Amino acid sequence: MGLQDFETWSNFSFTRKSCSTSRGLTAHQRRICRRHLDHMPTVSGGVRMGIEECKHQFRSRRWNCSIREGGPVFGALTLIASRETAFTHAIMSAGISLAISRSCSDGRISSCGCSTATRPKHLHSDWVWGGCAENLEYGYKFAEGFVDVRERERKVKRGSLEQGRQLMNRHNNEAGRRAVIKLSRVTCKCHGVSGSCSLITFWHQLASFREIGDYLREKYDSATEVSVSRRGKLRVGNPGFGVPTALDLVYLEESPNYCLKNETLGSLGTTGRECTRTSNGVESCTILCCGRGYNTKKMVTKERCECKFHWCCQVECNTCVKTEEIYTCK
Amino acid sequence: MTGTVLENLSGRKLAVLISFLLLCQLVCFLIGGLVAPMPANAQNILGTVCKDTTKVKNDTTKWFYNRGKGKCESVDLAQSDLSETDIVFAFQMPTPRESETFDYSRWQQNLIGVLQMDIRYHSQMEIKPHSTLVIDARLAYRNKDDPDDGWKLYTQSVEKRVLDCDIEIKSEDYLYNCTAMPLFELGSLYHDYYLLNIRLPVDKPDMNTHIGHVQDMWVTVINQNGGFTKVWLSLKTIFFPGIVGILIWFWHRIHLLQRKPVLLEEMLLTLGIALCILDLPIEYLTLLFDLPFMLLLSDIRQGFFYASLFSFWVVFAGEHMLIQEVKTKNSLKKYWKHLSAVILGCVSLFIFDMCERGIQLRNPFYSIWVTELGTNLALSFIILAGISTGMYFMFLSFMIWQVFINISKKRQSLPAMCSVRRLHYEGIIYRFKFLMLATMICAAMTVIGFILGQVAEGQWKWNDNIELEYTSAFFTGVYGMWNIYIFALLVLYAPSHKRWPANETNADTQILSEEIEFNRLPIERSEISSLTSFINKATVD
Repeated sequence: MGLQDFETWSNFSFTRKSCSTSRGLTAHQRRICRRHLDHMPTVSGGVRMGIEECKHQFRSRRWNCSIREGGPVFGALTLIASRETAFTHAIMSAGISLAISRSCSDGRISSCGCSTATRPKHLHSDWVWGGCAENLEYGYKFAEGFVDVRERERKVKRGSLEQGRQLMNRHNNEAGRRAVIKLSRVTCKCHGVSGSCSLITFWHQLASFREIGDYLREKYDSATEVSVSRRGKLRVGNPGFGVPTALDLVYLEESPNYCLKNETLGSLGTTGRECTRTSNGVESCTILCCGRGYNTKKMVTKERCECKFHWCCQVECNTCVKTEEIYTCK
Repeated sequence: MTGTVLENLSGRKLAVLISFLLLCQLVCFLIGGLVAPMPANAQNILGTVCKDTTKVKNDTTKWFYNRGKGKCESVDLAQSDLSETDIVFAFQMPTPRESETFDYSRWQQNLIGVLQMDIRYHSQMEIKPHSTLVIDARLAYRNKDDPDDGWKLYTQSVEKRVLDCDIEIKSEDYLYNCTAMPLFELGSLYHDYYLLNIRLPVDKPDMNTHIGHVQDMWVTVINQNGGFTKVWLSLKTIFFPGIVGILIWFWHRIHLLQRKPVLLEEMLLTLGIALCILDLPIEYLTLLFDLPFMLLLSDIRQGFFYASLFSFWVVFAGEHMLIQEVKTKNSLKKYWKHLSAVILGCVSLFIFDMCERGIQLRNPFYSIWVTELGTNLALSFIILAGISTGMYFMFLSFMIWQVFINISKKRQSLPAMCSVRRLHYEGIIYRFKFLMLATMICAAMTVIGFILGQVAEGQWKWNDNIELEYTSAFFTGVYGMWNIYIFALLVLYAPSHKRWPANETNADTQILSEEIEFNRLPIERSEISSLTSFINKATVD
């Protein structure tokens, strides 16, 4: 799935017709969409979750996961196989994988698979016999089938840059799905004789998506540049670096300069972005504004503070009034 | 009597018997590994948040579920302004798959529920360690023929649980790492569908106030796999008549003798009976009746078997001591030290089991680990059982060590003995060493298998290419092994028909012609004492 489709995806309407009319889908994805129509709201929710997380992770960076609202579906960012593309692929894939796993768990999707094999004939007796696989596994497998099929269906010349793009996307999609599994916590219960541990059952507990986002952001920071070899395999560009694992992100091209607005490269520029004056990190005005300087504005804000929560939904807060200076890049 | 079957069996016959038993053992292992599925299956269910609009909250005829006709109005906890009392977490089990509504089969035997909370971290309200969580849990059941809303109350309880959460990275929107809380245990899975409704009441001002921001609630339900039950029960069905048959044969053999059975034979019989009870496939009844006590009963049966096995080992070692104290009656009294360790261990485990699973018969949500007193009580019983097990093994090892010392002493004097007495002692030594070897192998296999199982289970299997189901293979293998072990004991340690060769014509033939057990008749005792004096003499020389 390319970044251009995320917007389409997060606003998907769920009829059989929309599977064929939606512009963001390839032929194979349309087929999966029709077959698993009940999965699609969840897929779309997963994509939306991915976009939100991406925006949160990059809120204070030069590239802020900008997906232009209302713009043309085919954005320009996909022209460049940069780190950012790598991250978006990973986070979307993770979002879909996590969302599917969750929906299977509360029975919202009733057609989640039972085993990894194709639908068995005597499903009910199979379930009685050996139970079903975990939802996490199903989420992983569905996301793999749905997202990666895109990169497989178009035949490209071996060793070409296009093939490199396919390999890179598949690698990063996998990294996203693996992150969901890696961050899930294994929990167990002893239930042998007298509750002893002669019999233990394990299962996976899903992590919060913020945790997955943070993990993938770290992977973004340590992403490896690769190139495509003549034999059609990815190769580490700089031999000094180690070979990336299935959990690491890879990219083919250097990122464009996100300081300046460049529609063809998919960069919105940093003009008008809020920055922090006092810090030294990526969110500082020196870095974010790319040396163009910043405007200062004084604002009085009302904030909720000293909150007290009850377990569910009642939050009692005081309102604090703060005067803040807001800096925006020129 | 001249000895047991073991000593009188020719080498070839013994080899055939042992290889047959080993073959049976291999079959047991392979059945578990290739035919049976995993012993248990876990299903992770995410709670659906339902809106309870009723005025009366303790109405147990009103149920909330998220699938089927009359399903509840589900709300998003993050974006709602409901009061706590209007929120119900609904868990409908089993969850559907492949667009099919599954129902539980009675082959799946039991259902264990584990509760997990997803609690979001907020810097303004960090949860204190060991906060108390109060839950109002209601369990309902429905059968296939009932309408979608035909839920009937199974049990209901207001329970306390200790919420034990920590967090490594204190960052907003991260989840606390909370330990799983045992929620319920059903000893029988009699009905087709179950529904769990959980409320977090706030009846008192300090109730459920320190549990943080509950984002999601998960219940993991674990049930035994039907396939495993089928394989297990088939094994039992095959073993049971075999063990009963061999037991009858054994007892018949003993009755043929013109003496009363000795202690060792009585112990062997007890062990055989204990195994029969363990093998009795009464689980078939659960397919017809609702028998919630099955979990408890299988614990008790298992405990009784272990107790008799441990007692047997002690008595066996003691009876092969080769030293005869004057006027000792071979009764269980002699072993009171060792046996009291066994009994103490078993009784404390039994009390613990009754406190946990016994009370769960009345209230499936009960857990002894929740209250401070209960935890201490449970722990003290378990520690007591552990200490007595340790004591027992100390006694046993000491006894075995003594036997080995005696054996090596006897070895030196063996060449000097007359042939009958030599044969007699060689027989005892052989019997003892054989059992020691067999027991050691069985125990080592059990321990190794268990450890390997823990290691193998700890890893997440991604590829389902591995055809062998290790855990099940371990269970069926070990179960089969102890059955075969006891079968072999009953066969090999039964009294033999055969006499010692008649060509051994010397002074002892007279004794040989009678059916004697060496440590019961006075004549034997004098023999022993003469022997000991002989040894003494030898050492002086």
